[in-house]
Amino acid sequence: MAEKRESGRVKNAEQKRVLDEMSRRRRQRKALEALESDNFSEDPHADLKMSKKAPKFEEAIDANGAGKKKRKSRGDFKQRYRKTFAALLEEEQMLNKEGPTYFSACVPPSKLPERHFCACGARFCCVKCLGTHQDTRCLKWTA
Amino acid sequence: MATLVLDNGAGSAKVGFSTDKEPKIIPNCVMKAKNVRTRIFIGDQIDECKDLSSLYYLLPFQKGYLVNWDIERQVWDHMFGKDCCKVDFNETTLVVTEPCLNFQSIQEAMTEVLFEEYQFKAIYRCNAPHLSQYKYSKKDSQNQQCTLLVDSGYSFTHLVPFCKGKKLRDAVCRLNVGGKVLTNHLKEVISYRQLMVMDETYVVNQMKEDVCYVSANFTQDMNIARRKGAENTIMREYVLPDFSHIKRGYVRQKDDPTDKTEGYEQTIRMNNERFAVPELLFHPSDVGIQEMGIPEAITHVLSKVDEELHPHLLTNIVLTGGNCHLPGFQDRVYQGVRSLASDEYDVATFLPPNPMTYAWEGGCLLSQDPQFHKMVLTRQDYDEQGLAYSLEQFDVS
Repeated sequence: MAEKRESGRVKNAEQKRVLDEMSRRRRQRKALEALESDNFSEDPHADLKMSKKAPKFEEAIDANGAGKKKRKSRGDFKQRYRKTFAALLEEEQMLNKEGPTYFSACVPPSKLPERHFCACGARFCCVKCLGTHQDTRCLKWTA
Repeated sequence: MATLVLDNGAGSAKVGFSTDKEPKIIPNCVMKAKNVRTRIFIGDQIDECKDLSSLYYLLPFQKGYLVNWDIERQVWDHMFGKDCCKVDFNETTLVVTEPCLNFQSIQEAMTEVLFEEYQFKAIYRCNAPHLSQYKYSKKDSQNQQCTLLVDSGYSFTHLVPFCKGKKLRDAVCRLNVGGKVLTNHLKEVISYRQLMVMDETYVVNQMKEDVCYVSANFTQDMNIARRKGAENTIMREYVLPDFSHIKRGYVRQKDDPTDKTEGYEQTIRMNNERFAVPELLFHPSDVGIQEMGIPEAITHVLSKVDEELHPHLLTNIVLTGGNCHLPGFQDRVYQGVRSLASDEYDVATFLPPNPMTYAWEGGCLLSQDPQFHKMVLTRQDYDEQGLAYSLEQFDVS
């Protein structure tokens, strides 16, 4: 008889997707990138055609600065300094071989154990909250 | 000759003449409003914007470093120009800050822009903690030789130990948690739990400044936040602005007879979010940033300097930067460091009256130093000696 007893909750749980280590890490990286982002949505004025008088924005800094008109007085300045953070960091590593660097200055991981919370603020708070998690497939705090 | 002091933060620039009482605090960015399609808002022009919902940000800084000069120049043009500081470049010396361990090529760009585009008469480049340390050692401490400067800003938090006015470069440390991460995290949490606010950076940042605090006892506050009704002393109801009747968000006071809006407006329940968000400064691993929190990082800095200095640094922990405005920040740093440091040593923290502008104040003070004129680099020197020489004059990296 014992094998016939089953719990709906346990049965459901078996169908839940379990993330492998790789996807977990990818997810984690994405979550950290999101914390760094300047904007969530696209430029609301992206569809506007700026008149010649209007100030121009070039937010995407493309590394070679190709195809952009330069103001004469600014000369080759833009060419030389138009670089992304990643490009600047790489360049800095080439130039600065001794002494503290961007990477060495970062503090190491904590020696204290990690704490885990779900969206409600606690890891396991109540069945209702678990339901919300499953309904929304929230992975924010699981990765 | 005038001296302009510019603490050029990634979040906000603090700018003013050394003779001014306080600096102007100017958002260091260009903003576009969703509902204002005819113009953009540069820096503090945002004060002219009536609808601050869904602002789009263009920031000159990325991860705390100046990478987009087009935007920075727009902000500076405005800041130095007729509507703001009215700088007479030929007659002005500029004290300007750069992030700790600033990249060589950004330093080059900075020097070039300031001399060739703006034509300042002279410049003095340094890190903000250097200016704060200067002010602390001259004004706010009793002849202390050492300072452990905590600068917790928009992009990150730096810990910089000083001895006799000199930065102990090898022990400088950085945590990649700052005000931006806190605001973004708060946006995510509210959007998941209550209301989609991912586009409301401006409003949520204000909400953070209005209701967030650093908990003195995290577990206990978590328990209180779980209670219902009057027993939950942490819960606040935050009324969101609608930018027609309500111009700015605020915490609803219970039974406030003057609050006639009740029932029509959107509100957010701020419960454990109030302290769990700033908690990232103390436990970055709560969101998966595998780094030490501030108190632990302070002990990490100590491990990199001569033990003789430990008691001097521990009693001169100076807290600066916008995040230090969070209520409870100072107590928590003290508590954390106290519990980690050897009991042979005293621990003391100093929180300036205005942690955000402390570096700027230091810059003003430094410009009155009798030796100041010898520390600056003039445009003439730059023209005659070149860029390499000019870079060597300052210790920014």
